[in-house]
Amino acid sequence: MGLKYIEEFRDASLAKDLAASIRQKSKKPLRLMEVCGTHTMAIFRHGIRSVLPDNITLLSGPGCPVCVTAQKDIDAFVAFSRLDDVIVTTFGDLMKVPGSGTTLSRQKAAGADVRIVYSVFDAVTMAKENPDKQVVFCAVGFETTIPTIAAGILMAAAQDLDNFFIHSANKLTPPALAALMETEGVEIDGFILPGHVSVITGIDAYRPVFETYNIPSVIAGFEPIDILQAIHLLVLQNETGKPALENAYTRAVSTRGNPKAKAVMHQVFDVCGAAWRGIGFIAGSGMKLNQVFSSFDAGAGFNLDLPEVPEPKGCACGDILMGLKTPEACALYKKKCTPMTPVGPCMVSSEGACAAYYKYT
Amino acid sequence: MKPDDTVLLDHGAGGKASHAMFSEMILPLFHNDQLALQDDGAICEMPAGRMAFSTDSYVVDPIFFNGGNIGDLAVNGTVNDIAMCGAQPLYISAGLIIEEGLPIKDLRIILETMAQAAKNAGVKIVTGDTKVVPRGKADKIFINTSGVGIIFEGVNVSGSRAVPGDKIILSGTIADHGIAILSAREGLKFESDLKTDSAPLNHMVKSILDAGCDIHVLRDPTRGGLGTTLNEIAAGSHAGITLFESALPVKGAVKGVCELLGFDPLYIANEGKLVALVPENHAARVLEIIQADQFGKDAAIIGEVTDRHPGKVFLETAIGGRRMVDMLTGEQLPRIC
Repeated sequence: MGLKYIEEFRDASLAKDLAASIRQKSKKPLRLMEVCGTHTMAIFRHGIRSVLPDNITLLSGPGCPVCVTAQKDIDAFVAFSRLDDVIVTTFGDLMKVPGSGTTLSRQKAAGADVRIVYSVFDAVTMAKENPDKQVVFCAVGFETTIPTIAAGILMAAAQDLDNFFIHSANKLTPPALAALMETEGVEIDGFILPGHVSVITGIDAYRPVFETYNIPSVIAGFEPIDILQAIHLLVLQNETGKPALENAYTRAVSTRGNPKAKAVMHQVFDVCGAAWRGIGFIAGSGMKLNQVFSSFDAGAGFNLDLPEVPEPKGCACGDILMGLKTPEACALYKKKCTPMTPVGPCMVSSEGACAAYYKYT
Repeated sequence: MKPDDTVLLDHGAGGKASHAMFSEMILPLFHNDQLALQDDGAICEMPAGRMAFSTDSYVVDPIFFNGGNIGDLAVNGTVNDIAMCGAQPLYISAGLIIEEGLPIKDLRIILETMAQAAKNAGVKIVTGDTKVVPRGKADKIFINTSGVGIIFEGVNVSGSRAVPGDKIILSGTIADHGIAILSAREGLKFESDLKTDSAPLNHMVKSILDAGCDIHVLRDPTRGGLGTTLNEIAAGSHAGITLFESALPVKGAVKGVCELLGFDPLYIANEGKLVALVPENHAARVLEIIQADQFGKDAAIIGEVTDRHPGKVFLETAIGGRRMVDMLTGEQLPRIC
């Protein structure tokens, strides 16, 4: 996508018109959740909250893949890094996320071979170039990332690599939305649905959640105009009492999504239950390697026996990810928990709600 | 020393090999009277007045990147730090820590660019040191440069002198250096012609000060980027800063890479840019002088100092919103989606 194409969606006068229209039409108190961490960041970066009326509250949802990675999965990544002749490869965001004991970043400083990669394919290439090492890739992502991880597995299989493994902590978005709606105390008047995820899944993936809970839902892109347009549509739906599942990101998202990406994903992975940090176990929300590709599963290959360690006391990441609390309401926020000394994952990832609040407010 | 040789531990042992490296490579390139004497230290003439003194170490990886290398970076860096004190840099020292096995031809290129950078800035490299460490104990080459300069008479610039009403002038596009380095790193294969902005800014500073403009603050926003530098100024002066997003000069390609990796250009390093905080009545003149300099043609007024929110930096976004610009905490890591 050319940058000019992006600039059009940052047009100042159009943004001001949309914001004015939102302020004029929005009467009821509204709690809208942006599900995706990239939306959280974009909302802060462009100062979108400051142009909305006071009756609209934006809540940050569970859509930062680093934030929802279970502590036990982080512990597994750390445990792999302690093994001899193992290279742990990870996306940069994960480096500083605390497990029950330490972080990958500290492990690296202590001498472990932990390397940041920008794509799973780099990790596969690393395995090929280092036949005397075992390369473990920390697979963390939503529907946006899972197809490329699946393609990485297919690439490793095609090259007969027996020293490439993944630990899958991948997650699926729609089951998390359903779990949110079932959680007591959760009050959400509308979802700003993720743009990138929806490019893969299509609008149809949200239809069951929408039909079950009848909740206003709009897919949004990541530029200010995209986000304001989605909020505008959610305001109209709420004011008219006509919930709908709408797409405000039509230049990228189709009804059925990307069939090829979905096919690759399901060729390699099976749907399974998954633990979400701070939220708990959600049935059907994870993806594990299927029988055919199980030899690439690092968990099976290295047979780690990790103890269950409770999550840190007082950390409200779980409640924050569900929109039950804002970061300011957490007792640790800006005191014990800062970006330099994060307690919970929402403070670590650049797309975590607490890190965004800390940085921008 | 042949170009296909490599640096050995011998070259740092102080014996014949060390002397050969100095007399065959270093002295001919950095040539000046003080260095030629090979005394333990350099004895230099200093004009009367106040002296500025600064030091910095360079460990950049990779050592070669588009538009420069660790050598000119090390010279320009210290030249600029001295210039930001409102001073004319005069003498520089260079300490090299070399990992054994560095190709001599690479070392020669680095030394040549250091010599050229010193010439461009009008400073002399008058003293130095070379150490060689075993393989794995350093990463190819580390360079420390220190330098001294003489502060222009009557000039008093400091991060604590920003006052409400001051205009903030930035000398050009931000984040060029950091993104050029990132693009040159292994694993990221951007096809871009992004170059480091590494450049000596002392001539620009001299022009501003020679014109008699009252400069309250001068800073070069290197590590931590413009966002961090402005936070330091806001804290040091107990004043608020407001930035205008639409006025910030950022190259299109830099914006593109930042979008892709989730980086904020406000926190990415620059090596050839300065910010000047000046009273409103001098702002137009200072901007004009900076724009006339070869390294300042994209200069712009990007914000102002205010008595609201002392100690904090706020950005007025292009869409009319407002957000805080905090100091960078830790290293920016690429996001994963």
